[in-house]
Amino acid sequence: MVEDLHYAYPPLTPGGEQIPVLKGVNLRVQRGEFLALMGPTGAGKTTLCLTLNGILPHLMGGIFEGKVVVAGMDTRDHGPGEMSCQVGLVFQDPESQLFNMTVEDEVAFGLESLGLSSSEMEERIAWALEVVRLPGLRKRHPLQLSGGQKKRLAIATVLAMRPQVLVLDEPVTGLDPLGRHEVLSVIEKLKREEEATVVMVEQDAEAMMAWADRVAIMERGRLVLEGSPRQVFSQVESLHGWGLAVPQMSELAHLFNRRQGASFHFLTEDEACSALTGELQSNTQYPISNIQYPVSFEHSPAVKVEDLWHRYDDAPPALAGVNLSVEAGDFLAIVGQNGSGKTTLVKHFNGLLRPTHGRVLVGGQDTAGQSVGQLARKVGYLFQNPDHQIFAPTVWEEVAFGPRNLGFSEREVAARTTEALALFGLEDQADTPPAVLGYGLRRQVTLAAVWAMRPQVLALDEPTVGLDWRSSRTLMEEVTNLNRQGHTIILVTHDMKLVAEFARQVLVLDEGRALAYGPTRQLFQQEAILRQAFLAPPPITALARRMRSYGLKGDSLTVEEFYQEYMTLRRLSRRDEG
Amino acid sequence: MSFAFDLYVDRSSWLHRLDPRTKLAFVVVSSVLLLSFSYPFVSAAFLLGVHAILWSGKVPASRLRWAWQRMWPITVLILVLWPIFYPQGDEVLWQVWRVRITTQGLWQGLGTALRVDALAFAFLVLLFSTDQARLVRGLVKLGLPYEWGLTLAIALRYLPTLYGIYATVSEAQQARGWVIGEGKFVQRIKSYLPILVAVIVTALRLADNLALALAARGFQSGARRTYLRELKLGPVDKVCLPLFAVSLIVFLIVRFRYSLGVW
Repeated sequence: MVEDLHYAYPPLTPGGEQIPVLKGVNLRVQRGEFLALMGPTGAGKTTLCLTLNGILPHLMGGIFEGKVVVAGMDTRDHGPGEMSCQVGLVFQDPESQLFNMTVEDEVAFGLESLGLSSSEMEERIAWALEVVRLPGLRKRHPLQLSGGQKKRLAIATVLAMRPQVLVLDEPVTGLDPLGRHEVLSVIEKLKREEEATVVMVEQDAEAMMAWADRVAIMERGRLVLEGSPRQVFSQVESLHGWGLAVPQMSELAHLFNRRQGASFHFLTEDEACSALTGELQSNTQYPISNIQYPVSFEHSPAVKVEDLWHRYDDAPPALAGVNLSVEAGDFLAIVGQNGSGKTTLVKHFNGLLRPTHGRVLVGGQDTAGQSVGQLARKVGYLFQNPDHQIFAPTVWEEVAFGPRNLGFSEREVAARTTEALALFGLEDQADTPPAVLGYGLRRQVTLAAVWAMRPQVLALDEPTVGLDWRSSRTLMEEVTNLNRQGHTIILVTHDMKLVAEFARQVLVLDEGRALAYGPTRQLFQQEAILRQAFLAPPPITALARRMRSYGLKGDSLTVEEFYQEYMTLRRLSRRDEG
Repeated sequence: MSFAFDLYVDRSSWLHRLDPRTKLAFVVVSSVLLLSFSYPFVSAAFLLGVHAILWSGKVPASRLRWAWQRMWPITVLILVLWPIFYPQGDEVLWQVWRVRITTQGLWQGLGTALRVDALAFAFLVLLFSTDQARLVRGLVKLGLPYEWGLTLAIALRYLPTLYGIYATVSEAQQARGWVIGEGKFVQRIKSYLPILVAVIVTALRLADNLALALAARGFQSGARRTYLRELKLGPVDKVCLPLFAVSLIVFLIVRFRYSLGVW
């Protein structure tokens, strides 16, 4: 399908250099195959997607060598207009691809472009909305849909054009767990019932392991590894080397193979369970400890929330009586579905929102009567989208902006900025306009900019969305370092692996209420609570739970922890036998 | 924040089913009528008629209340100020120093206030009962190039999105200690700079992606564009349109041939 493809984007500035992105890609996709395309940020995955329906080179120019043939059509001879009936391309950002006023018009747009009759359109619209499970919402405005619904609508819009191949660029990135599940189950249904050919770009190794027929890894414009999920995900070291995530089960197998010389190659919990339990004896189960709410009022908490209610206009309350006490120096994760009130809660900490009822205290002082500017000294807030705060002509200026606003002397501003740039590895970019940096670096700039204000409390709103595994590890390690230096960290996220590994306390929000609040380890044991909030513990914790009847405590949070506990148990059971 | 800057209320009624072109014609004829005749009773009768149309067109009362809530300050303002600044006329009702209130002034004030309200409602009939997509379709059908129509539709669609970005960006900059909208005029303008730059950059990214999305949906694929919902003139349209044409001619004749309708 793709043969020896080279592509370079046209230069950003006139007379500048071409930007080579694809450097000889060869790829074949069989009819009815589900191909997962994975790779670190900047590997050229999106660029490859754009060549598949001829958007590249037809719309953007640049240097294009080699060829792309889909369903017998060579993209050099057929522009995106014609190719769009062969290749359905769904982009990452739902906001920009839903440009109509109703769901129905949205699906109709592509069909109108093809010049179909209105009865044919009716039929296809009904079918496409049925497939993505959105019938009955035809007259809705796309903005009224939830995140998962928007993505499914975006899929329906190209599906209705009956393409041979469906190309999905990170269709579940940024969705909450419920939305992810909705979208993934639709894609799975397409694969099963419609036998669709799917090329899907995705960072989440767990999902791709379960679904893909074949996985292709891209790095720096080349395909570096290709094969079945089992083949690809067993290359743990190479994948980590490219900065990619690995399913936790393969990580575990790898750990055993490396340290114990075992030859495990399990990929799923089932396989891991049967491979590992053979060595252990059935044992008495540990009782699950009940959650203990951290109530320690003798210290002065960094953030204290007392019976907080918040109501936007006439809508039902976004927060309904939340109580919270975050110890200074703690690391709290706030989890819950979109619309459960996470962001609303966090915006109360720096005064962007004010309580409808109740109080919020930061550093022991009531936030009422303190302006957002005053609170900015105490609470730093990293917004989800770095582009919402980047504006300055250089990275240096961007980072200096905050301290300057706080009224520090130019010398102090310069000192802080220099230190921030060094800490976050941005010295080389000091004079670059931040807007032209890659996504991962833009994220780093915004973190540096918030850190330069030296707030006691640092609130991060889904900071790792859109980052690849390595960038997101780097970010989390930096945040952990800040935490060690005494900053209180409040992390809003949907990524349970991050929560398990980094957070010490977890607050589960559901429809504006605190469903649970307690230490991470205990909280991940409360299956009923998690299920109620549509959350699931990471696979490794789930595996540990399943193996409780073999003597495991069932509360492992990381692969390493599981490994250590398992080895201890195995030694014990060998001694018993011997 | 409301999800769209949209006055449209989705209902099923004869008014909603009316072709947008017919409603556009109604706006034109009404405007001619209201601008030609300044008698208060013309505007008053028109307002009554329009309310009857909106009521039978199932436009909810809450919408009408909303419209009047926005209209009454200007109505009151005209009613009060017009007589004060229009001292002509013989029948003086009240005079203090140089302020003269005359019967004629009062009538003129009433006439103007009602006229402004009536004009607003002529447009509201269209906006309450026509969704933006159909409105744009109507304009395209009347000869507006499709690309322009699409541009207009997209502009309307993304207004709330841009507003949302603006709101988030202001919050993000405030969270970094930036104070917006304080100080002297120049300072105040300058204080919006960090927000505008970020909004514009984000909007440009959005626009780039939008262009790709249009291409992926076969926009300008070369095929002749068809429409899911063709606009067709229904029986009511076929009665209304000639009626509008006749009324328009009658209004113009009465106004200019016989010079009736104004004081």
